Amino acid sequence: MRMPDPDQGVIARRGALAARLRAIVGAQWVLDDEAERRPYRCDGITAYQATPLLVVLPASTAEIRAVLAVCREQGVKIVPRGSGTSLSGGALPLEDGVLLVTSRLCAIVAMDVENRVARVQCGVPNIRISEAARPFGLCYMPDPSSQMISTIGGNVAENSGGVHCLKYGMTSNHVVGLEAVLMSGEVIRLGGGFQGAADGELDLIGLLTGSEGLLAVVTEITVRLVPLPEAARVMSMSFASVEDACRCVGAIIGAGIIPAGLEFMDRKVLNAVASLLREEHDPRTAALLLCELDGTAAEIDALIERVRGLAEQAGAIDIRASRTEEERERIWRSRKLAFSAIGKMCKDYYCTDGTIPRNRLPDILDRMAELSRTYGLDYANCFHAGDGNLHPIIMYDAARPGDLDKAEAFGADVLRACVDMGGVLSGEHGVGVEKRDLMTHQFAPADLRQQQVLKCAFDPEELLNPGKVFPSPCRCAEFGRMHVRGGEMRFPDIPRF
Amino acid sequence: MIAHLHDPVVCRPACVADVADVVRAARSKGQALEVAGNGTRRGLGNPVAAAVRLELGGLGHVHFYEPDDLVIRVDAGVPLADVERMLAGQGQYLPFEPPCHAALYGGVPARSTIGGAIATGLSGPRRFQVGAARDFVLGVDGVNGQGEAFSAGGRTMKNVTGYDLSKLLCGSFGTMAALTRLTLKVLPAPETERTMLFPSAGLARDVAVLAAILSRPLAVTGAAIVPAEGGMAVAVRLEGSAPGVAEHAGRLDGAGLPPGRVLAAAESRLFWSHVRELDVLGAGSDDMLWRIHVPATGAAALADALRQAALVSSLMLDWGGALMFCTMPAAVSGGPDGAVPRLRALAAQAGGRAILLRAPDPIRAAHGAFPAQAPGVAALAARTRRVFDPAGILNPGRMAPAGESAEAC
Repeated sequence: MRMPDPDQGVIARRGALAARLRAIVGAQWVLDDEAERRPYRCDGITAYQATPLLVVLPASTAEIRAVLAVCREQGVKIVPRGSGTSLSGGALPLEDGVLLVTSRLCAIVAMDVENRVARVQCGVPNIRISEAARPFGLCYMPDPSSQMISTIGGNVAENSGGVHCLKYGMTSNHVVGLEAVLMSGEVIRLGGGFQGAADGELDLIGLLTGSEGLLAVVTEITVRLVPLPEAARVMSMSFASVEDACRCVGAIIGAGIIPAGLEFMDRKVLNAVASLLREEHDPRTAALLLCELDGTAAEIDALIERVRGLAEQAGAIDIRASRTEEERERIWRSRKLAFSAIGKMCKDYYCTDGTIPRNRLPDILDRMAELSRTYGLDYANCFHAGDGNLHPIIMYDAARPGDLDKAEAFGADVLRACVDMGGVLSGEHGVGVEKRDLMTHQFAPADLRQQQVLKCAFDPEELLNPGKVFPSPCRCAEFGRMHVRGGEMRFPDIPRF
Repeated sequence: MIAHLHDPVVCRPACVADVADVVRAARSKGQALEVAGNGTRRGLGNPVAAAVRLELGGLGHVHFYEPDDLVIRVDAGVPLADVERMLAGQGQYLPFEPPCHAALYGGVPARSTIGGAIATGLSGPRRFQVGAARDFVLGVDGVNGQGEAFSAGGRTMKNVTGYDLSKLLCGSFGTMAALTRLTLKVLPAPETERTMLFPSAGLARDVAVLAAILSRPLAVTGAAIVPAEGGMAVAVRLEGSAPGVAEHAGRLDGAGLPPGRVLAAAESRLFWSHVRELDVLGAGSDDMLWRIHVPATGAAALADALRQAALVSSLMLDWGGALMFCTMPAAVSGGPDGAVPRLRALAAQAGGRAILLRAPDPIRAAHGAFPAQAPGVAALAARTRRVFDPAGILNPGRMAPAGESAEAC
């Protein structure tokens, strides 16, 4: 993975730039000392690191606007960052770029219970919205596993998912309004404080959500709140083969049941977790499915019986259903601990994020086994089965020369296989720098270009988060010339008109 | 004023390569194109002045439908009714309940296309609970204003790879690209439904009662207040399994509603189709129609203000109050030129946005079908369109907000 070469001229101006920015945000909110900048070297992917030119922590939309104006005037790049939990390197700093950290914009501006929306600043951690909504019997549904830490601004930038998005949707399905600062210095307000506020307009909210900080800095977000589900129960179903488990996933969805969550864990994950939790599974178990059902008590009871029947038909060897909230939490604990349990089993691991059409699950699992043999690296599987979103965990040892490269190559091959099976590179982690160079495998040049030219409408100087998502710059300045070429006709004289 | 008073020449390609050729030819001549499906809803949005109409209705292939994977891929020209019939055959549906609205414009509903449904981005009564059209578009193929074919999105349930062009193009009224193919997420249709009708206790009270109901975990998928015999009626729809619907219905008792009438499944379905297509408004063929997005908490006051100003003859609320439809008589006092801006101003005071859903071409051309936007947002939207359609030849001006000329957009 290669980032654009840092501009030494900009680095030489660090001191002068820091002084300009301190005048905006206050002296203590610009970090220029190397010891203070170092902790910001990476986000959730520690394999990629760079010490930022400066770290700036503004406190308001007005301050962000002023910071962007200075950066634009000085031709300095900007990387926006929430809590830095990105799993694709979306917030990886640039050595010649300002890291714009939003954690001081952390106010819940308004809870509008009657219209069931919350207006919050971008630096508010995801979980705080649901906590604030809970007294009213409401919640903010998208729940990425980072929700204790990750900010709603980061969730919007990445269009984060989570365990419940099979039934309740991703971040973009829950945003009704945005305030954002453009590189031009303009503050734009899209949508508003109720569902449908942006209907009949170009869906710029839909475009900005998931744009990975390349188009604008989102400063305020209005999200939809929904009633807390009355009750939920989770089923734990063991299968003697991965194929049986995959068949069961298809049978549940095919029967018209949309569970609140449907998770898959293989034997290796179960072993890792068992050593932490001392939880025994039938020794024949090759794969475990967790299926959460919510609704009213009577509805859940009926659904559990239907899922039990489908699981039995698919060859389940053990089926349990939680009867109390404590049991439900205990069953989920194994899933929630999966990644840290694997972390204890191996020196290092690398987890990626491809998505496939659900009915190709057995094929992709076969392919992973084959790749594991080719690269000589072990792996484990723990993923969102209901929506075909894979998180293969590739184990390696960073201290062993060449191991990281092999792990990355293994991950890239898995993602290529996902695309070849009709899937995509990323289901919820984003492209960032991690999958950037694979974009040409998923998109034809014209398709990639059609996305990339949007940069010209938002940030023609390409100062916002450059080097992310797309394998090459947009070169907006050349866009005008492309028009002329594009205007040349293949059949200049077709007689239709 | 409208430049072309005569019907445009119609181009109706049967493949994507021909769509691209038509656009490239228009581009080389700097000629505007009216982009349509089968043209059943041409009255929606601003009138377009173009000598040539590009109809996507000739693209009629169903690429695949995989019910177990909850996904369907069809050409833009496949009729919406055909898609819905195909899904119903497998017990599935389009959850956003797209309104057809063709009858409002004198079009034949059976000819309305899925491409038109996505290009207009209209969502029906269930939207407040399950999401809008844009939330169910997984992938889009189209031809941009340079005549270049492109694909965006994919077919998987989850996908955050690159910018979400599918959402951007949904509801873009053919102003960025001619949509050629769509990949949609579908869901299992609920086993049954039931609707409770209650007499209105005044709009403000009704909206507050609905807000309280919608804050509880009930399977409510319809919450409207509609004209009924002797006044208005509050309609609450429940969907789900038969025991679930019965259980939720029991819980509605004591929600502050008077005793009501129950519509069983078949009757309920028919009732909501009348809500969705606005039949319940009883609009005359000359009436203008408005679609107003407004915070539910401001809906009752807005309705009072509109009635007091004698701007509307009939109105209804949907989405628990966040969506208002109303009729404005052609002979409204002060004439449309005075009444249209007055209605928009009252909507804006209530925090809402008023879209002129149906009106004669000259009135939409003069006042704009869509309300004004903040200048920064309008300019950003215009720049966004321009990178897809640099010469502005695709449906020019169709989405232009009130007060903006077609050239600006």
